[in-house]
Amino acid sequence: MMNNIIKKNRYLVLRRTLQFGLLLLFGGANWWGWKFLMGNYSSAYVLESFYLTDPHAVLQTFAAGFVMSTDAIVGGIIVLLFYGLIAGRSFCSWVCPVNILTDLATWMRKKWRLSENDNFLRINRKTRYWILGLGLILSPIVGVAAFEVINPIGMLHRGVIFGFGMGWTFVVAVFLFDLLFVEYGWCGHLCPLGAFYTLSSRFALIKVKHDAEKCTLCMKCKDVCHEIQVLDLIGEESGYIKGACSNCGRCVEVCDDDALKFSVYNYKT
Amino acid sequence: MADELQNNSRRDALKTLFQGIGVLGLGGSLWGSAAIKLKASELTLRPPGALEEEDFVKACIRCGTCVEACPYDTLKLATLDNHTAIGTPFFEARLVPCYMCPDVPCVPVCPSGALDVKVIAKQIDGHNTDEPDIRRAKMGIAVVDQETCLAYWGIQCDVCYRACPLMDEAITLEYKRNERTGKHAFLEPVVHSDICTGCGLCEHACVTEKAAIFVLPREIATGKVGEHYIKGWDKADEERLINIKKAETKESSPEDVLNDWEHLLDDE
Amino acid sequence: MSINRRDFVKTTAVAAAATAVGMTIPKNLLASAPDVSEGGWRWDKSVCRFCGTGCGIMLATKDGKIVAVKGDPAAPVNRGLNCIKGYFNAKIMYGADRLKQPLMRLDSNGNFSKNGKFKPVSWKVAYDEMEKQMRRSLDELGPTGIAVFGSGQYTVQEGYAMAKLMKAGFRSNNLDPNARHCMASAVVGFIQTFGIDEPAGCYDDIELTDTVVTWGANMAEMHPVLWSRVTDRKLSDPDRVKIINLSTYTNRCSDLADIEIIFKPHTDLAIWNYIAREIVYNNPESMDQDFIDKYMQFATGFVDTGYGMRKPDHKGFTDLERQTVKKEVSKIISKEEAVTLGYLGYKEGDTLEMKHRASANGHWAITFEEFKKGLEPYTLNFVAGLAKGNPEEDLASFRVKLKLLASLYMEQNRKVVSFWTMGMNQHTRGVWVNEQAYMVHFLLGKQAKPGNGAFSLTGQPSACGTAREVGTFSHRLPADMVVANPKHREVSEKLWKLPAGTINPKVGTHIMKIFRDLEDEKIKFAWVNVCNPFMGTANANHWLKTARKMDNFIVVSDSYPGVSAKVADLVLPVAMIYEKWGAYGNAERRTQHWKQQVVPVGSAMPDLWQYIEISKRFKLKDVWGAKDIPGLEGGLPDVLDKARDMGYDPEDTLYDVLFANEEAKSYAWPDPIGEGFSNTEAAGDGREIIGTNDEEWKGYGFFIHKYLWEEYRTFGEGKAHDYADFDTYHKVRGLKWPVVDGKETQWRFNSKYDPYARKEDAGEFAFYGKALKSILQGDLRGPIPSKGKKDLTNRAKIFFRPYMDPPEMPDAAFPLWLCTGRVLEHWHSGTMTMRVPELYRAVPEALCYMHPDDASEYNVAQGDLIWIDSRRGKVKAHVETRGRNRMPKGMIYVPWFDEKVLINKVCLDATDPQSKQTDFKKCTVKIYKA
Repeated sequence: MMNNIIKKNRYLVLRRTLQFGLLLLFGGANWWGWKFLMGNYSSAYVLESFYLTDPHAVLQTFAAGFVMSTDAIVGGIIVLLFYGLIAGRSFCSWVCPVNILTDLATWMRKKWRLSENDNFLRINRKTRYWILGLGLILSPIVGVAAFEVINPIGMLHRGVIFGFGMGWTFVVAVFLFDLLFVEYGWCGHLCPLGAFYTLSSRFALIKVKHDAEKCTLCMKCKDVCHEIQVLDLIGEESGYIKGACSNCGRCVEVCDDDALKFSVYNYKT
Repeated sequence: MADELQNNSRRDALKTLFQGIGVLGLGGSLWGSAAIKLKASELTLRPPGALEEEDFVKACIRCGTCVEACPYDTLKLATLDNHTAIGTPFFEARLVPCYMCPDVPCVPVCPSGALDVKVIAKQIDGHNTDEPDIRRAKMGIAVVDQETCLAYWGIQCDVCYRACPLMDEAITLEYKRNERTGKHAFLEPVVHSDICTGCGLCEHACVTEKAAIFVLPREIATGKVGEHYIKGWDKADEERLINIKKAETKESSPEDVLNDWEHLLDDE
Repeated sequence: MSINRRDFVKTTAVAAAATAVGMTIPKNLLASAPDVSEGGWRWDKSVCRFCGTGCGIMLATKDGKIVAVKGDPAAPVNRGLNCIKGYFNAKIMYGADRLKQPLMRLDSNGNFSKNGKFKPVSWKVAYDEMEKQMRRSLDELGPTGIAVFGSGQYTVQEGYAMAKLMKAGFRSNNLDPNARHCMASAVVGFIQTFGIDEPAGCYDDIELTDTVVTWGANMAEMHPVLWSRVTDRKLSDPDRVKIINLSTYTNRCSDLADIEIIFKPHTDLAIWNYIAREIVYNNPESMDQDFIDKYMQFATGFVDTGYGMRKPDHKGFTDLERQTVKKEVSKIISKEEAVTLGYLGYKEGDTLEMKHRASANGHWAITFEEFKKGLEPYTLNFVAGLAKGNPEEDLASFRVKLKLLASLYMEQNRKVVSFWTMGMNQHTRGVWVNEQAYMVHFLLGKQAKPGNGAFSLTGQPSACGTAREVGTFSHRLPADMVVANPKHREVSEKLWKLPAGTINPKVGTHIMKIFRDLEDEKIKFAWVNVCNPFMGTANANHWLKTARKMDNFIVVSDSYPGVSAKVADLVLPVAMIYEKWGAYGNAERRTQHWKQQVVPVGSAMPDLWQYIEISKRFKLKDVWGAKDIPGLEGGLPDVLDKARDMGYDPEDTLYDVLFANEEAKSYAWPDPIGEGFSNTEAAGDGREIIGTNDEEWKGYGFFIHKYLWEEYRTFGEGKAHDYADFDTYHKVRGLKWPVVDGKETQWRFNSKYDPYARKEDAGEFAFYGKALKSILQGDLRGPIPSKGKKDLTNRAKIFFRPYMDPPEMPDAAFPLWLCTGRVLEHWHSGTMTMRVPELYRAVPEALCYMHPDDASEYNVAQGDLIWIDSRRGKVKAHVETRGRNRMPKGMIYVPWFDEKVLINKVCLDATDPQSKQTDFKKCTVKIYKA
């Protein structure tokens, strides 16, 4: 029984461990002077030897009119290649701390059945691409990396590590938005960073593979998916889950039929 | 019927398009003005080695590595209530000043180049080296309010002078006779803006209720002289000519000026 | 300036009152009566709590609290100005952790236990235990079994009451002030040279002189208001006026100075002799021959006197400590000493046996020729080589500076004032170097003249007024009298109305020895008054451990919980300066009184009350019987019979006899001078404090402060120590004693200004001090008793004193000099100023100042936390290679105000063997990263 619960949540446990672990390492750097991981999700100094940088931030900064140092750009390329060629959009569900918050909001939304009577606000999932573009257009106009100014990921991280100040308002806004208005509202509809990784990780190797032969159409996968549109092929045809899938693995672990599995993308098919 | 449907769907599509543009425009202008507001930071003191404010807010990736590197907890990342670009590092000298560490640990760790060793490069024989020199930091300038500075009252204070890490260079004491008492002297602190780094140790130490010496960003605290006048007694001042822009002139017609003579006569 | 009619009436009324008592008050010193403004606050005059400068202040009181302070514009010293400590006088009394009730170490049953925790107790319980413990020590060890740590921060009345209680009551001379650490060397210098204590000149010298030379006196930080006067003098005539700063490191005085001379620790002894040699050998015409012939006598003394340490066989020492302490018995003559002690026949490598430790004060008359012979080795080359303190400085430039220094002293018609403080006093040859200052000034006839003189500044607000003038030292009685002198005892016994033989003739324990005797369990009861000696005394590890681990009972009367209170057994909360009536005497002999401005906080009570309350618990029969005194043959006699003859009853308490006698009760309270002011001791203060007898405190019923002052001043009357009466001081901005015929004295020993000098009719000058004026004669090598004694009436002495090495000097194991001292922002151990938030913020911790090259050599950096480690102990501090004190290579400086950096754990407790003043300015340490 217990084993089963763990099995049914194995990726969730791993993801939360990684997400909180990273927060702890970042926090430790500030609170106790640890040297494992200094900085934050925009740029992290790893083991005092190299940097990992958010390529989207590098791009915005470039758009705003500043070419970052080589260290930062190299760090950005490493990250871009890692997600773009290997891990897919997994930043969003394995690393990003906002994901913890929006998952919580969704869980509460479902538990309290808040989703049943709220159809007054609908947002297209493509909005995030517009926001991504708008941010890059605004950056040179306002002379600052436009998304970074309002980025709730940075605010949440800084809030936890350095103290919130008034920054919690943005974070609470995201939480309430997801809780009260739109299911998976922020991560699934608005966040330009998610949009950025969706676009850039199109050809990543790690993807979830669906085996339609085994599928019993129980639809548990669709219940847990944040980007439900990526599961259009469920029960219809075998293949790889593409698009905005963040490789969270929820569908894999809830599937009782072994119809969904992490796999390496086969370009030949 | 089919036509109607088609018309309707076209109308819907147009409506959606306009709505989309409207939402984007509204969102964009809100976002843009919020961004401008949130980067407004004229009164902010930046870590040593920071680029010019305009470039700094562009360059800073808001990662906080400099904050973590600071051994004195001087640096903080701005939150919404700090009136400066959110997430960027800054310090409030009255709370915790910059202690001017000789190895300047906050600068080399910056990934983006927003804090740049080159800005404060140690110079040997006029050439920049790769080492930082904290004395070249230009975080701000200390300004003395002579009305509330106790030393200008004649009190033997000069706490700021002794707190200054560049004592006798950045702050010197100017001696003046106290005519009122007839036998005491004023020992007045004077800040030398070419040397002051803006570390704020003076502001931190000042004993008045609200500091009578305080650090302002250099842009706020300094004036600027036009390049058309060079100090005749100071050879080094000529360096200002290096940056001189081509003199802009505006043309206007002298005839128009000449023809405008009637106002010279008094009204009858 | 217009004076309104009401003010005019007020001032004339005061003037009339003064005339009535026969006083002429200089117009500018007239203080107006306290003024209650319409806003409801009252201004009244007082004096700054902190240093020996003695700045006058005005305090505003409202609703029983001090609300504001201002410099007193009428005060001659400071004319309305203050330094940054004085600026905060209004805030020092209201720190968050002010002691408000007696606290005693109690066990779980509520009984005293040495290992208990501090818990509040009533005044009665506190005094019951204190009495019990005092009796235990007195019974076991006699009068020498108890001791009191006194202070230069006592008010005059407090010091006087404690001296009377200890010396007349308990017949113990174990009362010694922290002022011992501060100016004892100056005192011995004064007494041996002039025969009377305290400076000849006054602060007006600053405005009148052409040259200010600071010798180990960082006036810019330690006497800031005086320094601003020096600065003004410099500005008034920048070309003529010269400022020379002599120090072992660059301090803030160098900012103003024309010449800065950085010398190696202890070599001030050689520099003074170099100047004297320049005068005597190369510029004899600069000598004031007439002055020397008429008023001077050459003299010298012993050199093999040790360094005021204990003998190395003491069981309390570690082997490391013994490496230094062994020099107390003998030392190897160094290369330099071979030159400077050559006149005694010593050569390099010889052993100097310390044979005259017990008679270190011995000195004798010599001829000018002998004197001159002694100076012979101090050539420019020798002294420059020995004394250059900054390794980076070029020897030639150092020579030029020394030569310039000497020529400024010698220049005809150039007036010179030499100021010094702790640099010359905290010195294992401090008395010598004080005397050398007078030597140079005397040779040139530049002493006791307006604008000319060697001027010893004091650190504490009443080091002069109380510690010295009242005589709260283990060897002193009021007005420069000493316990060892039978005539002085007789005079004192008469004035105190004691039976003859009451006063103990055996000199008591000086402050260092109180600690040492506590460690050796020769003293088992000690009472700390108005100071923090467990933080302020060198080699503190010994004493902190002693307080906590040995069999003794330590009482600390204090206003804030400092280090001493922390290691005490009983802590008594005291009223602070403006919560009591009092008087201080500053460095220029100016006595200033103030009134109680506010009622003390909590259950805190004035020190004076605390001392007098204990006197109620001892009867004459307890203390005036025969007593054993170690080292005093026959002990103290039983004087009870004589006491009976004088009308005393053995059942009388010390309170009845010493403090509440008929004379005392004649000073009634209320008194017109105190109208509108509280007097906690005289009448209670409305707080309904439950006193030491468990009854509500309602006052003694008489004006105890006025009584004590009036009795005290009879000691000095007619002996060149005259003061004005109590009331006068409440009308003026202080007066410089001797106050004769209502007039203060600016320059002593000068017939033009000093009525006592005039009275002697000895010419232009009369050095009329009476002490040590009949001395043996001899030559440089020693006294020759066959020559008989020489009478030196009205003469002062010019001493020859040689250079000697200090007992601890840098070596491979401990390569750095350590110098300690103060900073402008904090007072002494910081119990008051560290509690003023603004001052704390300004300088929150004691830093270790060092040369950047030393920092790199010892692998530490600016801001690093390091250990400062000596043969005695170690503390941690942060490195400061910039900032106020710029150290030469090879020396570090750590101020002592910070409890967290208890630097006295590191310091050596060597003292001047004559003055017993500790040398806090030099010992050796090593440093390494913490």
